[in-house]
Parts: sequence; C-alpha cells; structure tokens
Amino acid sequence: MEHLKLSKDKLGDFVAKLGDKEVLVPQKEGEALKFVPLTGDSVPELDYANTSVPPKNAVFPQTETMLRFEWGKMETTAVTGEAKEKVFFGVRPCDARAKVIVDKLFTWDEKDPYYVEKREKSTVVGLACAEPCSNCFCTSVGGGPASTEGLDVLLTDLGESYLVQPLTDEGQSLCQAASDDLEKAAEGDVQAAEKVHQEAEKKISRQIDTGGIPEGLPGLWENELWEKVSQSCLGCGICTYLCPTCHCFDMQDEVEGFDGRRCRTWDSCMFSEYTMHASGHNPRPTRRERTRNRINHKYSYFVDKFDVIACVGCGRCISLCPVNIDILDILSKVKEAL
Amino acid sequence: MVDLDKLRTVAKETVSRDDVKYLIGWSQGTFGFRVSPHFVKEPEEVDSLTFSPLCCNNLATYLTLTEKNPVPRGEEADTRKVALMVKGCDSRAVVQQLVEHGVGRDQVYIIGCPCEGVVDVKKVEKKFGELLEPVQASWENGKVSFQLPGGQVESLPREEVLAQNCLTCRYPNPVVSDILLWDEVEVKGNDDYEDVKELESKSSQDKWAYWQDKFTSCIRCYSCRNVCPLCYCEDCILDRLNPTWVFRSTNVAENTAFQMARAFHLAGRCIECGECERVCPVDIPLMKINRKLYKEVHEKYEFEPGLDPETKPFQASYRPDDKEDFIL
Amino acid sequence: MSDKFEPNIVAFLCNWCSYAGADLAGTSRIQYPPNLHIVRVMCTGRVNPLFVVNAFQQGADGVLVSGCHPGDCHYMEGNYYARRRFTLIRELLEYVGVDPKRFHMSWVSASEGAKWKDVVEEVVENAKAAGPFDQFRRNKINW
Repeated sequence: MEHLKLSKDKLGDFVAKLGDKEVLVPQKEGEALKFVPLTGDSVPELDYANTSVPPKNAVFPQTETMLRFEWGKMETTAVTGEAKEKVFFGVRPCDARAKVIVDKLFTWDEKDPYYVEKREKSTVVGLACAEPCSNCFCTSVGGGPASTEGLDVLLTDLGESYLVQPLTDEGQSLCQAASDDLEKAAEGDVQAAEKVHQEAEKKISRQIDTGGIPEGLPGLWENELWEKVSQSCLGCGICTYLCPTCHCFDMQDEVEGFDGRRCRTWDSCMFSEYTMHASGHNPRPTRRERTRNRINHKYSYFVDKFDVIACVGCGRCISLCPVNIDILDILSKVKEAL
Repeated sequence: MVDLDKLRTVAKETVSRDDVKYLIGWSQGTFGFRVSPHFVKEPEEVDSLTFSPLCCNNLATYLTLTEKNPVPRGEEADTRKVALMVKGCDSRAVVQQLVEHGVGRDQVYIIGCPCEGVVDVKKVEKKFGELLEPVQASWENGKVSFQLPGGQVESLPREEVLAQNCLTCRYPNPVVSDILLWDEVEVKGNDDYEDVKELESKSSQDKWAYWQDKFTSCIRCYSCRNVCPLCYCEDCILDRLNPTWVFRSTNVAENTAFQMARAFHLAGRCIECGECERVCPVDIPLMKINRKLYKEVHEKYEFEPGLDPETKPFQASYRPDDKEDFIL
Repeated sequence: MSDKFEPNIVAFLCNWCSYAGADLAGTSRIQYPPNLHIVRVMCTGRVNPLFVVNAFQQGADGVLVSGCHPGDCHYMEGNYYARRRFTLIRELLEYVGVDPKRFHMSWVSASEGAKWKDVVEEVVENAKAAGPFDQFRRNKINW
C-alpha cells in the first residue's frame, strides 16, 4: 500500500472524516491522560509521550456490565450492537502490540464475546515514537518505536506533516475516506520517516537480553531474589492496572434492592485478596509470592502458551511504581541467578 | 547538616546488633530522581544508604505492611526489632501507630533524620525532564541543589521544587527517636490551610463539580491506601464483600464513596505526610481532603495526631464539652 | 395528590431515647411528615458514619441521626463518640459538595414527642429545599 502524507493543519479535517465512528484520542480526563472520545470539533493533541492509562480501557473497560437483572425477569445485556465502531487515534506502537498479545488470551479456547466484539469494531491509527520515554524498553521484548503489529495505519511525525502508512484493509479504507486531505508521499518523505524511526530506536537506552529467561524462571522458584525485590512492594494495583498487557478481572454482582447487574472489573494479582480462598487460605499470602507470580506469568507462563512475552516494554510500571520497583532490575537479577 | 558518614556508621552498628532484624532506609533508585526503600540485613550493604531531598518515601508504612506469617512447626517467629529511618512526618506516623498499638515501642528502633523538605518529583521532572541517569540532590542554604547527569549542577529555591506539604511543615524534626543523626533543623513552615479554605469558600455545586471531575479519573488502584502508614487494617472495609460497602466498579459514585470513607477513617489520624497524593498515578489532590479533616480536628478540638505516644486515639475519645453547634 | 417532590429520608434512631420519643409522638397522635424511613439502632454510638454515605448511595435525599442528650446516654458515652464522628462527617460531606441541608443530627429524649415533630418537620423542609439527590445514587448513574 502506498505511503501518503498529511499536513498537520489538516489533522482536524482528517479526523472529522472518520465521522460516524467514535474517535478516541489522548486527552485529560480529570487529571489523567487517557484515551477518551473526541468531542465536537476539537483537534487531537498528539504532542504527548504516552498516556498513563493504556488504550486497553476502551476494549477491555475497567467496569463492564455483563448481565442485568430485575425482580421477576432476567435478561442478558445485549452485547452485539451496543459496541460502537471506534477509531483509536494516536496509539503508540507498544500499546498496539499489547492488544495483539491480549487478543491471544481472549480468543484462546473460548472467545470472549464482550472483548472480541469491541476489538473487531476498532481500528487503530498509530503514532510512531520520535522521542521514546526514558523507561521504554520495547526493543528488548520484540517491539520497536515504529512497530506495525496491531496497527491499521501508522503515522510518523515529519515536523510539518505526518507520513501516513496504511497497513491493513481497514486502514486503507480509512485513508480513502479522507483522501481529500491526503497527498501522495514523496520518496524523500518516506526516507525521512525511516530516519525518524532509526533515531528513535537508538534513543532507547534501557535494554535487557531476555534470552534464557522464559525457560529459566521456573527453576528459580525458591530463589532468595524474590524476597529482596518484593520487600518494598506496597501490593497496590498501579503496575497491573496501567500495564497494557495485564488482563485479569474479577466478577462482581452489584445489587440494589431487587435489581442489579453482574459486571466484571479489573483485578490485580498484586492485591492480597487476589487468591484468597473462601476458606481463608491464601496460596500467595505475601508480596514475595505475588511478585514472583507476576514475573513468571509475564515472562514464562505466557510464553509457554502463546510464544510471546506478555510485556511490550512501555515502561509505565517503572515510571509509576511509587517505590521504584523496576522490572528491568528484577530481570537483571533473574539473569544473574540463572 | 546531613552527615552521610554518620548515617552509614550508625546504620552499620544498628544492623550488627543481635536484637535487630533489619534496617529500613533509603537508597538511590534505578533511574533519575527516584529513591527506593532499602531493607538492609548485612552490614556490608549500608554503603548504599542515603538521605537527600529525593527521599520522599514514608518508611513507617513498612512496619505494618510487612506480613507476619505463621511459622512452620518447630521454628519460632523472628521477634527482633526493625530499625527504621524516619524524617519528621514519618516519626509522627510511628507515634500514631504506637498510640493505636499497631506497633509496640520495643519492636522498633527509630533512627531520626531531621529533614528540610523533600521534592515533589512531578514538579522536578517537569522542569528537568524524565531523566534516566541517577541524579543526586542536597539541601544547600535554603535551596535544593541537583547534580544532574553530565556534571551540571542546578540550585533551585525550595519553594519551586519542594512538595506542597513540606512547605507548610511544622514538624521537620522527628518527634520520637532512639538516636538523632544530626542537629535539628529550624521550623520554616506555617500552615494556614489556604488551599482548604479556598475550596471551602466555593458553593456546594462548585465543590461537587470539582470533586466529581477529580474522582472520575480514580482507577481504584488502592495505592493511596497501601502506601499510607496508617491504613493497616488487615480486613479493610473497602475490600469487604458481604456486605459490600463500596462496589468494585469504578464509576464516580463509588469512587467518591471510597475516597470519603478513607478520608473519614483517617480523621484525627492522618499525619499529613503527603504520600497518598505523591503515589496517585492520576494526580488526584488527596491531600486537600485529608487536610480539610486535619484542619477541623485541629481547630475544633485542638488536637494534632502523631505527637504524643501517650495520648488516646482521637475518634476513641471525647470531651463532655465538645462542640455541637449543628445539632438540633 | 400533589406532585411536589417528597424526599426520602433515612433516620437512625437510638432505641432508648429517640425511638421512644418518636413512638410517644405517635401515641400522642401528633401529626408529622411521613417521609422518614426509620432504622432503630441501640445507640447512636453504633452508627457508622459510612451508613450516611451508603444511605445517599441507595437513594436517600436526606439523613437524620438522633440520640439521647449528652450525659443521658443509656450506655454512658455512646453519644459522645457519635457527636465527634458526625461533626466530622458533616464537614466532610459539605466539603465534597453535598448540600449541608441533607444531613442532620439531633438529641431527642424519650419524653420529647413534641420536639420530635419539630425535628422531623425541619429535616423534611430542608431536604425538600435541597431537592432530589440523584448524583450519588448507584443504579441511576451506571446501570
């Protein structure tokens, strides 16, 4: 598919042509930068590093109703038809790659209809990173600042304009709908974009060689490193809730009088009651076991099942952990122990 | 004046004692302006301990966070002391924990570090960018001096970089300690609760709109609760199911109930360390709520928590002449 | 039947004083507004201030907590603790933006049937002035 170019002052028009679909852009909701629906005629502000809440909250909402019930009748919430066509605009390649990883789980043995419907109705327009965050390490886990996995269109910032690269059929039809605002890209533009991508890759300073980690982790089960790295953990949910690949959830029945709903909400394996049994027994009673489980899940168990590390190197867990528990620090200790 | 050699010497002696399990202090983090809590068990590890304007963590939370597991048969629980390095606010948290019997006085060895205020990392990262190379910082004559990567040194006035609650702090010196590492610092802060009063003066609708806007972004990560040194109930009411006080769904009504419940449970107990606001990943101004109740308790009942280990907890005591002006 | 707004008010009454006082108002055939949903507790010291928050979430437009006069508590000190707690929860509710007309506390003893009528009338009038309280409700917002 041929490369196209969009000049920055036409960004608003381009987005307006996406018309009947809901366009999600990085915007402040309260104090947090999140992907929220664009309202009115506003133009997306694409001058940002990365959102604090990853775009997963639009296909895998933090709270999602599954059934509603009323006294005397029980009805399942209509799943199909309720989800709108969405366009994610300005997603970083790491978050897009995360969607592909999470897809594997939600379509594994049983297709999760709530998730799948939303995913099928979403188109993802990515924005290549020109200035990676200081804690990004996407290149160490199979990604990159211009990775195209999970994207339908990739934009690269060339200064006065964006290079627009349709990657899939949906991406192509999106670009065709806005063809008045797009021009054909020159060879020089394509090369300039290539240069941006290469420079960005060089700027990623945090690296780790994950070779041997998935196979070696199970053998470190009783190693003392887990005690050391988890001592300062608070057991909160920041790393899991803000991780684009984390996907655990809890089911809750919320009842008021005789009416209510069953909903699913995000859950975190770092919470102390995550594995609490009804008997009171907890197989992961302390933060040591829970930290060990999290690293094993992402870097070993997920690899066993799906052949991909469940981490895209976005660096949010590192930047936002209140006590500076650094996953790269943990992984380097794992490598030392191996 | 911060004396790192003395800090490390005292730490080494403390860790070598027979009756001390481990020492909790601060050491340089893995990137930029970060500092991480460090659990020191061996005397050799003390060299990484530090104390600087970057040490924002309140380590008193680990006294109650560290799990006490049942021990296998034949073994005995390790009941040795925990040595803890505290700033002024942290020591108040320890005092409040002592008042509530969350911790026994003989279970903790307190190493006091008089503090001239810690930085607000969000402010600093806005100024210098999110740096990767570790940065050092120190207090110099009313300013905070940063040793940036590349050898550059920048000194900024404290009003520009310190955390908001450090600027109004009236207790920079530890109120209880077994050993004080260096001389006490002068009290620079004074608190008129300006931020609270400003919000109080708005109309009900404006206040509701303000808080609803902030609570919409709450993702219920429970980081504020977990980092708080005074939130240590083993069976937290906000986790409870059957009855479920606060549903797990993250809509604004539940988030408001969550924050109100937490603020209320901290009334007369919160010692204003500001950790809750620092850790919040979506920047909710939690200190505004906690300070409101702190102000009410201080003004109406002339009580400040965390100063006297012999006092009774605020909500578990009363005076027959307590104010009751709104009661019909 | 007027279609003016009739507030739903949840009232937590202590068994020994306020509940008995309300009962006396009833046996004396004193007429007062019927908007209260009464929950009998043994003492106001038992009332968790989060009940107030919970009541608003479940549809109350106003909340009243009523107990024995200070010094007369059947359990000696329950109402003293309640006084402290409810002073604080009232400040907190007002600070978060809940109209202060929605939450009241009163001391009504077992012989004060007449006072009970006045208290209820004041509470209901205030709740009517404040209007329906939908913003805190659970099912209206999100189901």
